[in-house]
Amino acid sequence: MKTTRRTFLAGATALGTGTLLVGSATGRFGTAWAQDAKTLSFAAAGTVTSSWDPTSHTIAPQITAEMLVFGRLTKCLMTSENPGEILPDLALEWKVVDKYTLEYKLRQGVKFHDGKEFKAEDVKATYEYGSQPSRPASAWYPGQVEVEIVDDYTVRLKTEKFGYPALNFWYVAAFLPILSAKDVADPNVLKQRPNGTGPFRYVETKGDQIVFKANETYYDGKPEIETLLWNYVPDANTRVLGLLNGQYHLTERLEPEQYESLKKEANIVTNRGLSSENKYLHFRCNKPPFDDVRVRMAAVHAIDRDQVLAVLGEAGQASNSHISPVKFGYTDVANYPKYDPEECQRLLAEAGYPKGEGLPELEFITSVGFYAKTREYGELVTAMLQEQGFPVKLTTLEPAAWEEQIYRRADGQGPGHIVDVGWITGSPEPDLVLRPNYYSKFALINGINDPEIDAALDKERNAESAEERLKILQEETLPLLATKVPSLSLFSAVSLRAMSKKLEGVYFYPNGPIDLSKAKLF
Amino acid sequence: MAFAIEFFLRRISQGLVIVLLVAFVIFTLLRVVPGDPIRIILGPMTAASVLEEKAKELGLRDPLLVQFGRFVGQVTTGDLGRSYIRGAQGGSTGGSQDATGFNPESRASVAELIGKALPYSLQLAALGIGFALLVAVPIGMGAGMRAGKWPDRLGLYVSSLLVSLPNIWVGVVLIFLLSAKTGWLPAIGYQGFAYTIIPAMVLAIELSPVMIRAISVSVAANLGEVYFDVGLVRGLSRRVMIFKHVLRNAAVPLLNLFGAQMIGMLLGGLFVVEYIFSYPGIGMLTINAVFQRDFPIIQAVAILASGALVAINMLVDFASTTIDRRLKF
Repeated sequence: MKTTRRTFLAGATALGTGTLLVGSATGRFGTAWAQDAKTLSFAAAGTVTSSWDPTSHTIAPQITAEMLVFGRLTKCLMTSENPGEILPDLALEWKVVDKYTLEYKLRQGVKFHDGKEFKAEDVKATYEYGSQPSRPASAWYPGQVEVEIVDDYTVRLKTEKFGYPALNFWYVAAFLPILSAKDVADPNVLKQRPNGTGPFRYVETKGDQIVFKANETYYDGKPEIETLLWNYVPDANTRVLGLLNGQYHLTERLEPEQYESLKKEANIVTNRGLSSENKYLHFRCNKPPFDDVRVRMAAVHAIDRDQVLAVLGEAGQASNSHISPVKFGYTDVANYPKYDPEECQRLLAEAGYPKGEGLPELEFITSVGFYAKTREYGELVTAMLQEQGFPVKLTTLEPAAWEEQIYRRADGQGPGHIVDVGWITGSPEPDLVLRPNYYSKFALINGINDPEIDAALDKERNAESAEERLKILQEETLPLLATKVPSLSLFSAVSLRAMSKKLEGVYFYPNGPIDLSKAKLF
Repeated sequence: MAFAIEFFLRRISQGLVIVLLVAFVIFTLLRVVPGDPIRIILGPMTAASVLEEKAKELGLRDPLLVQFGRFVGQVTTGDLGRSYIRGAQGGSTGGSQDATGFNPESRASVAELIGKALPYSLQLAALGIGFALLVAVPIGMGAGMRAGKWPDRLGLYVSSLLVSLPNIWVGVVLIFLLSAKTGWLPAIGYQGFAYTIIPAMVLAIELSPVMIRAISVSVAANLGEVYFDVGLVRGLSRRVMIFKHVLRNAAVPLLNLFGAQMIGMLLGGLFVVEYIFSYPGIGMLTINAVFQRDFPIIQAVAILASGALVAINMLVDFASTTIDRRLKF
């Protein structure tokens, strides 16, 4: 057939129309805007991994998703008024048997989403599997653990063989998801779908949307929300606009300006909650000049944290400690370093760098697009350090590049000299922050290697009672960190979220998860 | 026939060189910018030694040319590879995988991911072009038929205004006005055809200025041609001459423009528009892949995009050459 202009144009038009028709015929492009009143649509800022095995990762957004599906032995709401309060979940009672043994009495009649009854064997399988050092999320475990089954509904966590007190599980048990022993036996099944005892059961993943349904047999009553649609929406403006036009009922990780404007919207309810995350400036302590504590302390005295907080607005709260106020052991540390330019100059001179002369060029690495206002306060901190003579340049990276730069490498060091990083964990247990960051064996970012810090961390960890531990943390460990400053805790992060006025009964955990088991959509 | 064979042989071989060059440039750039994918695949808590071991196993530490050779070999067998990050169900994921359990076979096939996203992007592109034509044809024709008079100036002002609006801003404003404030249309994500309308409007705003200028210039030029006056002298009405002859002749430069410029603009526009609207097409897939350092997806999209550009240009040239044999390619 001869191709003419007419036949070519006709063909092109047919192709375009055909695309639309094929789409409609396959049902993918049918119109369906309205959602029923029992379907809650959540715009999530973060993604999950492709493995549903909770022991395979340590990422916060997936922990938020897991909180919907899995149960835990206990629950900690982590309020700043009473961060150490423990409530029942799958366990109804718990007690310290001896230094190396904790006992839990389990709730009866609970079922996993696949129908299997929850029993002591599930706790044993979960904890013994999850605490193996080869599991990536064993980072949440204080160490390896053995679980003794006393009877179907009583377990004992035993740690003597591994040389640390069982009390370290006191708060962590509120964070570790309980898996079915049947799934643990087959890691491939475990990876494919989450199967827990929580208020929602996993249905499917459709591209960037995860579908959850209410668990009909949830021990605390079937949730009113029938279907929960979890949508990954990376752009913060898109999440807010989606909330405003009613496509989403709930969204997280708002910028302070977005939070301010949403407060004025009649159909939106905003929520501001102290997070379990502190934001830190980590110094690379295993290379000059920050291998000298005097230079670190000088840098810390150069930074006026009140100005940083002024930049953050609603997204930050003052905290004079290396842990957040919703952590067990938090205290306003009396010797926490403050802005003091004179002391800064004195220390610089004492370290051999009067007015900063002789210091090498320093790189300060931060991210943009992940945490609130990092660029803005990064520039402020850089200017404050420069004012005292630190020759600092700021490197701002997007999250993927930044994540690649922050941790220590095979040679034990990381790039740059100062790194801006947050650390968020889901239980009041302070060691989840302190050990990975300041214990010399880990010191994942700053590379500090200080026997005194190690000894202080070991001492609080080995305490025989919660009271004794509290005392050591508040009077020894945290004050010691304030004198060694491997990092400066700049502030405690505040989580800003917003939801439709139609949504009620939501509880936000300080580490991100959202309890929707009692939520209602009107 | 001989002409067609010679034309296609020559243009396909040229096209392949272009696609190969684009693939090489993208491949190299991905590997020299900061952001090691292994850290994202296996997650922050993984020990440095494990990271290195896995990176070597995945071939990420081989010399660049070796990696590129392997990649080209794989693509020639029709295999675009598997995503580093996305699971078999295709969802965007945050990496952080269990090093011992990490198995590339459990990852989404790049070809399937693209196959799923492509219809959405085609639908959006088709509607965007449709909207752009609806705006550009009347304005462009009006301007072309009254060159130098007010409709011409109006065409110029409208296209200058539209060309200077950044699509990211237009997108946000349109969502705010047409969706968030009035509730007239849905805008974020995709659950039905209606979700394509506002993003297509943004695309149309980007595409129409170029179309308006091309149509008005072409119509004005055709009106000045001898055939137009001859037609009128032979008794054909002005209306018939414009709609039957001028419009058809004016379509040829528009077609060329479409091949030469608009496909590139359209692709660029799709990336931004899909991201703002969380629209599940190729653009969204690619931008997320860039954020996650998901090299296989970025590479495949780059190859397909350059391949599409080459192929469309080739078809447009062929169509033009078939129509007017005086043109040589």
